[in-house]
Amino acid sequence: MADQLIEVVESADNVATALRDIEAGETVTVLVDEAERTIEMHDDVEFGHKLALEPLSAGETVTKYGTSIGDASTAIEAGEWVHVHNVESNYGRGDLADQNQSQAVQE
Amino acid sequence: MSEFLGYERSDGSIGIRNNVVIVSTAPYANDTVTRAADIVENTVPITHPLGRCQTKPDVFQTYRTLLGYATHPNTYGAVVVAHAGEIVDGDELAADTAETGRPSESVNIHEEKGVMNGLKATVDAAQKMVRDASEQRRVPSNMSNLTFGINCATSDTTSGLCQHKATAGAVWRLIDEHDGRGVFAETPEFFGGEQELAERAINDEVKEKILDRVEWWDERLQATGYDVRGAQPTPDNMDGGLTTIEEKSLGALVKSGSGPIQGMVDYAEQIPNESGMYIMDSPGHGAESVTGIGASGAHFMIISTGQGHTLSNAVMPTIKITGNPGSAKRVPEETDVDVSEALVGDQSIDWATNQLWDEISAIIDGKLTMSEALGESQFAIHRIGPST
Repeated sequence: MADQLIEVVESADNVATALRDIEAGETVTVLVDEAERTIEMHDDVEFGHKLALEPLSAGETVTKYGTSIGDASTAIEAGEWVHVHNVESNYGRGDLADQNQSQAVQE
Repeated sequence: MSEFLGYERSDGSIGIRNNVVIVSTAPYANDTVTRAADIVENTVPITHPLGRCQTKPDVFQTYRTLLGYATHPNTYGAVVVAHAGEIVDGDELAADTAETGRPSESVNIHEEKGVMNGLKATVDAAQKMVRDASEQRRVPSNMSNLTFGINCATSDTTSGLCQHKATAGAVWRLIDEHDGRGVFAETPEFFGGEQELAERAINDEVKEKILDRVEWWDERLQATGYDVRGAQPTPDNMDGGLTTIEEKSLGALVKSGSGPIQGMVDYAEQIPNESGMYIMDSPGHGAESVTGIGASGAHFMIISTGQGHTLSNAVMPTIKITGNPGSAKRVPEETDVDVSEALVGDQSIDWATNQLWDEISAIIDGKLTMSEALGESQFAIHRIGPST
């Protein structure tokens, strides 16, 4: 039976939210679009944090609420903890604007 | 319920509290205001670091915010305290307050020949005003007069899954069943959800304004040359599981529900009288957005929090709701409504909405909120440009 304490908001999402502390090595069952999916946990995931529902390649869109919440900054395994160490935002990126500017100057 | 017990004002507005505010126009009057409020019971001091050496856009914004508090529906009357001749003018503020029929007095520390005389004049005016205010009684009033503000506070991943849904439920109940108004803010917390939000606008003008303001905030943040992470999301947001500003925003927008957006006002600008949901343009900085929403005339504020928060306002009562069971246990003195059973237990979001609505109903009739009982509040006017 699907774990009620692992929440997938929209069927298009590739991450879920843990509503309990999950441990690496656990096999968890989540409900995605009314179908059960079994995932081997790669990492510990604390209450409130996210786990990947499927493998993601670097640069791939991370989807929650059916919408992009950023891009994977590295390859992510199913069952891996998904957070600031492996996801990048696409808003408020003054650091990138600066990089683009210095690239333009170099060119 | 279509009626509540409120205080009638001569400008037609109805208050849920009967505050006497003592308003400083510049940092150099702050101490006089704080000291007078310590002496006179039942007064609210309003102090800030602005009002002097500001350029025009900030002068207008500071003035509009202070006037919003002096003439707030929950304000009985105001004593305005100026230091000398500031660009935010104390006499003008007192006169504009009097235009709404509220008692108002103006004290100028220089004209009183110093702080001791200035303090005496402020205390005398405030003492008379609170005694007059104490004679006013609550009367049955129509709920269509009410505006509920909504703000996030230390969001985490529980916010968008639980407490924001109950919050949306309560505000839309006020709008749909009682012809009231709702208002939310924090424009940088629309990042990533702005297209869907803009589609909810009632016309192209409102739609364009939402998209323009989101773009303005993103450009302004990019102009710093830094990654905004740490400022948005904040370290406590990230501790709670929020990874990017997009994720925070998509959760934050849940509190606005899914109904039409009637309009978008500037920071501290008055909310129109027509029923519906409005946006006030502000940063995601909670003290600044809540201060602005109060100045816009919201009677009451729902603070929907993930990790728990002290965020509150002295003129506009703030109720705190959380669905994070850990936060409800960790900071019970900052939790008015705990709906965590709807997140990790067997209760529904409808149950959570009813819990919130029942508590709101008691508070608008006069029950004190957790933060009111603790005498806790913050006041922070958002500034646009530099001091000069």
